Amino acid sequence: MADYDVVVVGAGNAGMTASAAMAKKGLKVLLLERHNIPGGCGTSFCRGRFEFEVALHQLSGMGSPEHPGPLRMMLQELGVIDDLEFVEIPELFRAVMPGTIDVRLETDKAQVIAELQRHFPGEKEGIEKFFDLAFQFATQMLSVFYFKDPDASRDKYPILYEYAFKTCREVLDSFFSDPLLKAVVSVYWGYIGMPPDRLSFAYLAILYFSFIEFKAYHVKGGSQAMSNAIVNKFLSYGGEARFHCGVRKIEVANGEVKGVVTEHGERISAKCVLSNASPVATYLQLIGPDHVPEQVHVEMRGRSLSMSGFTLYIGLDCEPGELGIRDSTSFIMSNTEIGEKVYDQMRKLHVEDDLLVLSCYNIADPDFSPKGTTELNLVTLKFGEPWLRLPPTEYFREKYRSAENMMRNLERVYPGIRDRVEELEVGTPLTHMRYLGHPAGAIYGFAQHMKDSLFFQPGGGSPIQGLHLAGGWSGDPGFQPTLEAGKAAANSILKELGA
Amino acid sequence: MKKAVFEDFDGYREVAAAVEMSRKLGVNYSPDTDLADPYIRRLHPDRMRLRVSDVFDETSSTKTLRLVAEAPPLPPFQAGQYIALSVEVDGVRTSRPYSIASPPNQLGFYDITVRRVADGVVSNYLLDCVEPGDVLESSGPAGTFYYNPIFHKKTMVCIAGGSGITPFMSMIREVLECGLDRTIHLFYGNKSFEDIIFHETLQWLSERFERFHYYPVIEEPPDGYEGSRGLITGRLVKETIGDLEEKTYYLCGPRGMYDFCVPELEGLGVPKGRLRREAYGTPADIEKDPGWPGEVKGTDTFVVTVRGRGEFSARAGEPLLVALEKGGLAVPAVCRSGECSMCRVRLLSGKVFQPAGVLLRKSDRQFGYIHSCAAYPLENLEIAL
Ligand SMILES: Cc1cc2nc3c(=O)[nH]c(=O)nc-3n(C[C@H](O)[C@H](O)[C@H](O)COP(=O)(O)OP(=O)(O)OC[C@H]3O[C@@H](n4cnc5c(N)ncnc54)[C@H](O)[C@@H]3O)c2cc1C
Ligand SMILES: Cc1cc2nc3c(=O)[nH]c(=O)nc-3n(C[C@H](O)[C@H](O)[C@H](O)COP(=O)(O)OP(=O)(O)OC[C@H]3O[C@@H](n4cnc5c(N)ncnc54)[C@H](O)[C@@H]3O)c2cc1C
Ligand code: FES
Repeated sequence: MADYDVVVVGAGNAGMTASAAMAKKGLKVLLLERHNIPGGCGTSFCRGRFEFEVALHQLSGMGSPEHPGPLRMMLQELGVIDDLEFVEIPELFRAVMPGTIDVRLETDKAQVIAELQRHFPGEKEGIEKFFDLAFQFATQMLSVFYFKDPDASRDKYPILYEYAFKTCREVLDSFFSDPLLKAVVSVYWGYIGMPPDRLSFAYLAILYFSFIEFKAYHVKGGSQAMSNAIVNKFLSYGGEARFHCGVRKIEVANGEVKGVVTEHGERISAKCVLSNASPVATYLQLIGPDHVPEQVHVEMRGRSLSMSGFTLYIGLDCEPGELGIRDSTSFIMSNTEIGEKVYDQMRKLHVEDDLLVLSCYNIADPDFSPKGTTELNLVTLKFGEPWLRLPPTEYFREKYRSAENMMRNLERVYPGIRDRVEELEVGTPLTHMRYLGHPAGAIYGFAQHMKDSLFFQPGGGSPIQGLHLAGGWSGDPGFQPTLEAGKAAANSILKELGA
Repeated sequence: MKKAVFEDFDGYREVAAAVEMSRKLGVNYSPDTDLADPYIRRLHPDRMRLRVSDVFDETSSTKTLRLVAEAPPLPPFQAGQYIALSVEVDGVRTSRPYSIASPPNQLGFYDITVRRVADGVVSNYLLDCVEPGDVLESSGPAGTFYYNPIFHKKTMVCIAGGSGITPFMSMIREVLECGLDRTIHLFYGNKSFEDIIFHETLQWLSERFERFHYYPVIEEPPDGYEGSRGLITGRLVKETIGDLEEKTYYLCGPRGMYDFCVPELEGLGVPKGRLRREAYGTPADIEKDPGWPGEVKGTDTFVVTVRGRGEFSARAGEPLLVALEKGGLAVPAVCRSGECSMCRVRLLSGKVFQPAGVLLRKSDRQFGYIHSCAAYPLENLEIAL
């Protein structure tokens, strides 16, 4: 008899929700994490008076208690909602390019349209039409793929049929002429990691729709609180978790999963193994190329790695207002590029005029850091590959060089900010590699080109019997999608085991 | 098979063709080049095996151990960081952090300088039992006590006590050997003149380099001593360096020194962000901690049940981590100061004392996790590793 029904490799978002959902249904589940704490990306670390949020900028899919979104409903079902406190983020975002533009959008479609029209009076009509289209697209998408209308047709859902495979650039070009307006409207690309001329329009439309209709949230205590709450429930459902316990091997014989071997050499048998690690690591390292069916190699070959991130975690010794920080989310732009140049810049080692995303956690939650302080997270997207070519002895110098450039760009928006820094830590693509174990430190799994988007995700199944994958690599990356993907993986394992 | 809805969407054929094409011409992932581990092991190894190549006497109570990698090269580090050496003494495996005293501009070896602590387990072992040729196990470089060019000032005011000089030795050597654009003022406090580690070197460097200033401060100096005496006070710092602005202050030394010097510097108006301090272990006598509950004695012993691993006895006056190590349980630990969270365990029942300054995450507190290196049993406990 197997030691466990299921061994879960990795306590990232998907690993945790899957574990909790399966343990709740009575399966015997062992969750193995090589780090000392659960969460994967969904974690925090302490420096001085600050507990820095690693990854969560905005949580989508929550909705209010009265109008719950899919994520809130799922967390409710897992039983963790009462252990957590969520705060609504009052605005959509600020987009600022010093000396050129500064817009503030709220979570209200009419305000978004009016504010953009105020800045771009010549494009009034296009702005209104664009957002109408985006909302129609998102609702049609929901009807067909979330509510699963069995009678979907081109007549019933013309917008969906026409626009699903268009890029942002194509749609932007057809409504707007000012490059600045195009750059501002599509600035959300930073959340998906694909520049607008490659990004599927569907993602942009869904982001606007979802953040306006369901709002964005923060969780008190940061994403670590959510991770701790989910693992806590998992344990209370009888699950077993081990930290400092990486999986070295997933054992496969005759095309069937047998169990795992831990880094300490312990062999654990299981009916199913759910991997929250990347498919690259799962198949090539943990299972070994020889046991991997050809179709997996072929499928993987079609995909490229997404970018990693370069992050400044900043603690200030003053309240946000003192420096004029009023927004939870700001996109700091240095140019109006939305095409190849953006992509090329992300492939370079150094941060220069890259798009920056600044989150200030104290706007929605004044208690996020101690009274009289401010916590910021300034991030940009960078491919990890150039960092792997750096001699290790150059690492610290290059890390500070990019951090310095980011700080300078931040100072242009908030002069004097550097003098108020009390703590500052820098995370590079190598930091993500170290803590997540993902190839090239990719934080968004496989890249989301059109050919990889929406309907073309790898999914969580495997030709190896008993093996499942879940996380930012098999479906959409991000908190909401990966938390949900874990639940979905649990459902298919429960079905497979007849539980 | 039934056609999927999206196959009728405009543009589907092009996308499907792109999928086909990429599967033919895309990336052949390889375990050697595409996995993160090999590179990360060079930069941030979890474990290293270090061979003692030399031992140098520094003072009557202090020696420097020169460590070279069994499998070179050594990973790079930032001046001020430490390594946690793991040793087995009297059948008990434990670890202690030691700052790297050599500068990061050469990675042929790491020097660590160890001062004897009365009755100390590891310091005595390292000083008395370790010889050239021995191999020690260690963590990779760790810690957050280093110059951060993004917001630290170019003039560094360093305040060291006793063996707390070690991280500064690394910083000073790096700045001077590499000609970095920084100025260092070092205040170095010791009980007696003989206790000063690296005195000749520091004296010589300060004579030779304009950007390095050295001020030894002796608590109980011999008669006729002309240098500064007593403790390192705010007044001494101000009188010596004059303008306090545009400087970052770094402290490393025993707890007593922090208790005294931090308020002194804060009294001068130095903001928190410009006052950096190294972790320096847990207090020598936890019973003297202001928060310690009077009804429990340090010598009281309790039973700690570790779920699935058995029962252990633990003294109230000793960190839980130490009791677990004595019981033969391997709990990973690096800083042993409550800061890095490596020794995190879950408290299922019972009460522990956690001194102020432990960097526990808010939600760890909410869900009952503790840092075992900085948690003292006050009752019988049940924990899970
Ligand atoms: C800097 C940054 C900013 C981000 N910002 C946002 C945001 O604002 N909003 C948003 O929605 N998303 C954001 N994301 C993305 C989001 O955090 C991730 O997509 C999501 O958390 C990934 O979850 P996952 O389930 O794929 O697991 P991961 O978080 O990738 O975790 C995988 C886990 O598996 C463990 N593991 C791997 N290999 C092994 C092994 N062999 N044995 C044991 N354990 C193993 C790892 O240690 C890790 O804990 C951000 C990510 C980062 C890094
Ligand atoms: C980040 C960091 C860097 C360090 N770097 C150095 C270094 O470069 N050189 C060096 O010699 N030491 C250094 N230390 C201290 C070192 O890690 C050990 O704590 C020290 O060697 C004593 O260990 P021990 O096993 O001998 O004593 P233990 O057996 O741990 O302790 C014996 C008794 O002494 C007390 N005690 C522990 N440490 C001290 C202390 N430092 N001063 C006074 N009493 C103490 C204990 O609480 C106990 O009562 C560093 C500590 C930290 C946290
Ligand atoms: S070892 Fe660092 S917190 Fe305990």
